[in-house]
Amino acid sequence: MPRGWWTRRSNYFWYIVREFTSLPLALWLLWFLVEIRRAQDGPAGYHPHGSLGFVVFSVIVLLFALYHSVTFLSLAGAILHFNVADRPIPSQLIVLSQFALWAAASVVVGFVLIYFGRT
Amino acid sequence: MSEHTSSLPAERGGQEGAVKAHKPAVAHLFWWFMFAQGGVLAAILLPVHILIQGILGPLGIVPVADRHYDTWVNIVGNPLVKLYLLVLIAFPFFHFAHRLRYLLVDLGVPAARGVPAQVVFYGGAVAVTLVTVYILLTTVPISFG
Repeated sequence: MPRGWWTRRSNYFWYIVREFTSLPLALWLLWFLVEIRRAQDGPAGYHPHGSLGFVVFSVIVLLFALYHSVTFLSLAGAILHFNVADRPIPSQLIVLSQFALWAAASVVVGFVLIYFGRT
Repeated sequence: MSEHTSSLPAERGGQEGAVKAHKPAVAHLFWWFMFAQGGVLAAILLPVHILIQGILGPLGIVPVADRHYDTWVNIVGNPLVKLYLLVLIAFPFFHFAHRLRYLLVDLGVPAARGVPAQVVFYGGAVAVTLVTVYILLTTVPISFG
């Protein structure tokens, strides 16, 4: 395949972006692992990330994360096939259920993170 | 002819070939399971963590558990939270390993198809998993409080 093939059509480009989302997400998770480890520093030494640079980094990673979520969950309609009473469930309904699951999980995780963050 | 094609039962024929063809590819199953589950978990769980812990918390818009030592230790010590964090961090790395390896293949790096690359990428995911287990077991003692 010629070098730079993915720059010639927009759908090729977005395919590569979809694959690339893994890198910023992996970096953010490694930061998260560091944040967990910092609990070992004790009350005096614990300093969570809070710089503007970290916030900007997180905003950029969030955009990649949302792109991963939308593209990955949208594929569910093509991958998952279920029958109810011998009738196939429409793929749109399967995709909708994945997005509903995403919304529900986000609410639960968000609630736990914020609720247990009250001092 | 590649190893994969030569193992087709139609080419080998006979009962032995048919038996081998029905043998489940357990390793294949494992890696595809980890890839798929890692993708789902990253899609469903990561955006909210990034939004709240990476943006809203540091900006002071909402209180977040990891902003203060006491609240962070309180939540990280819970065994269910430790299990959740292991799943949240470890599984997606198997997804990332596969995608990033094939990203290199797609960008014209043929070496990314080879066994050394597989060892580096999937071995990296295993290493992150082991480090995560170690950190979760040694950072904050397990507590039900």
